[in-house]
Amino acid sequence: MTSGLAVRRFAFTFGIAFAVLYVIALARDLALFTVYPSLGVVLFGTHHSKDVADPAIGFVAPAMYWYGWTATAATGALGLGFLAMLLPDRSTWRFGLAWVCVTPVLAMIACIYLTLPWFRL
Amino acid sequence: MTIALLMVHGLVAVALLGAITHQTLAAWAPVRARPGSFLGRFRTVPSASFTNAIVVLYLVSALLGAILYLYFRVDVRPALERDGHWQSLGLFDLKEHFISIGLGLLPAYWVLWRRPCADESPRMRAVLTAVIALIVWWSFLIGHFMNNVRGFGQ
Repeated sequence: MTSGLAVRRFAFTFGIAFAVLYVIALARDLALFTVYPSLGVVLFGTHHSKDVADPAIGFVAPAMYWYGWTATAATGALGLGFLAMLLPDRSTWRFGLAWVCVTPVLAMIACIYLTLPWFRL
Repeated sequence: MTIALLMVHGLVAVALLGAITHQTLAAWAPVRARPGSFLGRFRTVPSASFTNAIVVLYLVSALLGAILYLYFRVDVRPALERDGHWQSLGLFDLKEHFISIGLGLLPAYWVLWRRPCADESPRMRAVLTAVIALIVWWSFLIGHFMNNVRGFGQ
């Protein structure tokens, strides 16, 4: 039963933290790694074309950050989830159930807001 | 190879779409639905039995999509940028963001369906399932839309 409660705490914390951290990673451009698919290269951290050589390289070797943002959110959420598992079982997690439903919806709205520039071009 | 992968991705997505839609409708259908009615038959299917399949299908679909995204970025997106399909690219970006958020929800979703607690409201489980269903439907429709705008091999 104890381990069952710990798993619940992990699952709810992971879900909430992942949504929040993903939006932060997206807004702040915090990719754990950058993928250059045409070169088959993966660089640790967030790299923009001007950091590497020349702004024009962006057309030749496009960079991808989605994998890195997801990895950033997953890594942070895993850490917080494991921390939540260490909390005593008497801690109430009823609020966590509500937040695990509300947070992703808020995160999706935030993603829409951050994507709005595409629709103004 | 890319087109074969895209077709497998599409088939997995269709299976996921069917499973999550069935579970969502069953979770939201009224408890007192008339037996033999459309909603009544939906409710008679044990919704929890869909959970493992949905988690696996979501993971497989996301993995296939992540592989295809590499080819999309190199072969398809430059042409979309050149032709000024900025709104389409924005919709596709939203699809990627929503899929990631859905990935983070899978552990909580699994726990709520497979390890339910007596003191938890089934409504919360239904809400979370609906959120994942929304993500799956959005991803399916936008993926299909993007493939119509400009698919692989065009």
